[in-house]
Amino acid sequence: MSSYSPTYALLIFLLVSILMFLLFRPRRGWYWIIKNNITVNEKTVTEDVLKYLYHNEISGNEVNIISLTAVLKFSDNLIIDIVKKMTIKELIKFDGYVLSLTESGRNYALRIVRVHRLWEKYLAEKTGYDKVEWHGRAELMEHRLSHKETDLLANQLGNPLYDPHGDPIPTNQGKIAKLKGVALSSLAVNSVGRITHIEDEPDVIYKQILAENIHIGSQLRVVENNPKRIIFYAEGEDFILAPIVAANITVDVFEKDVAEEENTSRLSSLKINEIANIAGISKEIRGDSRRRLLDLGFVKGTSIKIDLKSPLGNPKAYLIKGTSIALRNDQASKILINKL
Amino acid sequence: MDNKVNSDCNGCPQYNAKGLKKLGVNTENFDFVVALAGNPNTGKSTVFNALTGLRQHTGNWPGKTVTRAEGAFEYNDQKYKLVDLPGTYSLLSTSEDEEVARNFILFGKPDVTVIIVDASRLERNLNLVIQVLEITDKAVLCLNLMDEAKRNHIKIDERALARDLGIPVVPTSARFNEGIPELIKTITEVANGKIICKPHRIKNVPKNIQKAVNKLSAEIEKEFPTIPNSRWIAFRLLEGDTQIINALQAGELN
Amino acid sequence: MKKNSVENIIALSNDLRWKIGDDFHDHLAEGIYADASEIVKNTVQTDDKKQQFRLDSKIDNIVTSKIWGFPIMFLILGLILWITIIGANYPSSMLANLFLDNIHPILKGFAANIGMPWWLDGFLIDGVYLAVAWVIAVMLPPMAIFFPLFTLLEDFGYLPRVAFNLDYLFKKSGAHGKQALTMSMGFGCNAAGVVATRIIDSPRERLIAIITNNFSLCNGRWPTQILIASIFIGAVVPSSLSGFASVSAVIGIAILGIFFMFFSSWALSKTILKGEVSTFNLELPPYRPPRFWKTVYTSIIDRTLIVLWRAIIFAAPAGAAIWLISNITIGGESIAALVINSLDGFGFLLGLNGVILLAYIVAIPANEIVIPTILMLTVLVTGISGGEGAGVMFELDSANETANILKAGGWTLLTAINVMLFSLLHNPCSTTIYTIYKETKSLKWTIIASILPLIMGFVVTFLVAQIWRLIF
Repeated sequence: MSSYSPTYALLIFLLVSILMFLLFRPRRGWYWIIKNNITVNEKTVTEDVLKYLYHNEISGNEVNIISLTAVLKFSDNLIIDIVKKMTIKELIKFDGYVLSLTESGRNYALRIVRVHRLWEKYLAEKTGYDKVEWHGRAELMEHRLSHKETDLLANQLGNPLYDPHGDPIPTNQGKIAKLKGVALSSLAVNSVGRITHIEDEPDVIYKQILAENIHIGSQLRVVENNPKRIIFYAEGEDFILAPIVAANITVDVFEKDVAEEENTSRLSSLKINEIANIAGISKEIRGDSRRRLLDLGFVKGTSIKIDLKSPLGNPKAYLIKGTSIALRNDQASKILINKL
Repeated sequence: MDNKVNSDCNGCPQYNAKGLKKLGVNTENFDFVVALAGNPNTGKSTVFNALTGLRQHTGNWPGKTVTRAEGAFEYNDQKYKLVDLPGTYSLLSTSEDEEVARNFILFGKPDVTVIIVDASRLERNLNLVIQVLEITDKAVLCLNLMDEAKRNHIKIDERALARDLGIPVVPTSARFNEGIPELIKTITEVANGKIICKPHRIKNVPKNIQKAVNKLSAEIEKEFPTIPNSRWIAFRLLEGDTQIINALQAGELN
Repeated sequence: MKKNSVENIIALSNDLRWKIGDDFHDHLAEGIYADASEIVKNTVQTDDKKQQFRLDSKIDNIVTSKIWGFPIMFLILGLILWITIIGANYPSSMLANLFLDNIHPILKGFAANIGMPWWLDGFLIDGVYLAVAWVIAVMLPPMAIFFPLFTLLEDFGYLPRVAFNLDYLFKKSGAHGKQALTMSMGFGCNAAGVVATRIIDSPRERLIAIITNNFSLCNGRWPTQILIASIFIGAVVPSSLSGFASVSAVIGIAILGIFFMFFSSWALSKTILKGEVSTFNLELPPYRPPRFWKTVYTSIIDRTLIVLWRAIIFAAPAGAAIWLISNITIGGESIAALVINSLDGFGFLLGLNGVILLAYIVAIPANEIVIPTILMLTVLVTGISGGEGAGVMFELDSANETANILKAGGWTLLTAINVMLFSLLHNPCSTTIYTIYKETKSLKWTIIASILPLIMGFVVTFLVAQIWRLIF
């Protein structure tokens, strides 16, 4: 006890706390980094190379060793080494300096894409992870699931066609649906369409789209489009986006004018004493939450009005089929109504 | 469809001390199993208590009874075991309560399922009723909280309701013990096969789903000819319900 | 053969699912409700002019209004707590008088008469009996008042409105508005609070409510807080203010508990619980007049007696353990003294001492016996006069004498403050731990719920002790 002093005790405590923080802080903690690095092996690098080639093949960009080493976060030597091995296994081939996929390489890449998108679907439907985490978690999981596990997962999820971002999921035969639509930034004023896909990379732009509360499945009409900004009208509200952000939203444009959904708005915009009919639940409400809302009677055509506001304005209670049900405002923004 | 709702029932045997005995928790050696299903907040536990003479706590809270409560009564020398299932809005989701309720109706094969509904919120409650009727043939609808419905000027044509649902309907106000004797009588009649139910089956299904369901339930019936609810199992398979898939593989469903 | 055709059915269903698409559940739900509304159209007549639930909406407009919503809520909940604490005083002291001052000597006399060996007498009567008696005396009256009152509110239908009013605050920390109620229930008893989390149907929010329930200062801990506060906190201010100061200190601790509840709810929802499914919906049921006597009866049977019974089951062996560690000696020292010596260093770091830590270890079964155990152990290790002998827990009628014993045990104002903090922030009692296990059916969550508050207690008392010593 003789060496005790409160200052030393506090200092030691501080040091231990800092150490624990550095080790275990979310994502960038040393412990996680080391853990992830240990799991990096040939398989991971191979699969990441295949995936990168596949995505660039779709978008029509050429890939060479230099762009590969610049994008993938592994050491250059490792990448070059593995690219060599992959050419021997005939997964990829060189045309001069340009790298491209062979048939078997493309099939392999499709399998990885399948696992990735299925896992995102799984996270969306069966867990509570936040949207921004889906991509990162799927990036890790895509290297871990075997064929059999993947098919089992697909069966459990009901063999879904699209992942939660709207990307098509390849079948276990390697078939993949075409993503319909064009980038929102390329649409002319007054075009009408439906959002089919929101790109989750890069992170920064994805977060901006989420912050705007834009939903997959929403019908929209472009109001303004110039190099500075794009304004579109959807579900009773105007949304303003920078072109670079709008480029990450894909819209399926309607051939004919479909005006019927124009007066659709969000339940969150309903005011006291207004009555509305439910037009549907946005695709953004998934899994258990969606089922529960349907069970509670939030089905198409049901009449709804505000019963009560809580003192802090959120949640609000809605009178639906004779019962007062409280919903939070972020839920209400994903339920569509037609005001009467 | 026999549906006599006799409000003047002083002479009925269920008022006869010999006819009815409330047995509390003594649930041994029963002849029939009766399940109580219903939405939260419909006075399900009150009905349970009225039938068994028990005093289970009933909170004014959605989803109060989570564990299964059991009790019993005796009527005309037949013993009935009563199982109070958790209150749920539906049997389609995946919450724990719903699984308990659904599994009991499906695997426990009760002789009668009493579905308790709030008379003043009938439409909302029918969601569960219609689902239960897809699983089981022998059911009784207990139209509870009639006193509240009356206060709110809601009138229900019980005969038409019984005809549409294909099961007997008994109006009650369990808080005041009204309609309980009639409910008991109806339960015993269904249990003994004196009332045969022709339960309602879901009609408003889109054509493509209807087609898929028909195809699948035909296959199921071919394999398990005795199965009473092939259509419902088809619904569950189309939803990818792993529990039902496992039960099918283990042969637990027929 | 059979196996094959079952597999065929499943394969067919998978194939069909692919064809009918993602919206199957939506269509089915819509179909069922469409059937329902057809049936209702045929069978139900409503008189729209005399439309419904007028009284309900009048009550609702007041209890959820911007101005009156919160004051009414705090008034009602505060009133219930106040009635419980004040109202329990008298029956508690009566029970204590009966069990400890009357029956205990009679039992001792009886044991002496039939010539029971001293160790059996001590083990059974001073150990097991005293612990059980103590738990009943301290626990029964407040619970028998608190639970019926709370249940009446519940049966009336007011509690969902509280959840509705407070949801926004709980949402900010990743929790569910209904946690306001399980938290309030926790002020009565944490085990009952944990059981009450059944009303939360979202897995993540329910786990949060279970793990953080221990931060509600339960009935078993109020007396400790009040006693320590009145002896030590009340003494540092002028005597005219001492009552006020000690009451504020206790309320401060309870509010600190609420703060820790919000903080750890937020932290849990952002870390280990973020993968659990989270949903929200809240039905506001119609008001129904509760049937008073039936409610009182069932709440006493359902909640009070069940919880009390569990507490007794756990308290009995604890009493036995307390007696044994004080009376079994190794090398001339009792086990208690040895453990206290080895814990003293760690205790000092936390601004506590070995006696307090040992008391909290043996009192895991019931927080009610912490103070009697501390008093007994202090007398045992300091060798001052007082008490009833090794292993016999006791309490004193006068706060002054209690203060003298504690001060002889080396207590300072810092010790007192840290005991109050540690009483708030330590592992749940064994009844609650057992209940958490039964409710979650998961060892992992049970361990987290038990360890988390303990670690927080260590950290907080440690920091307070060091800073205190730096300043004073």
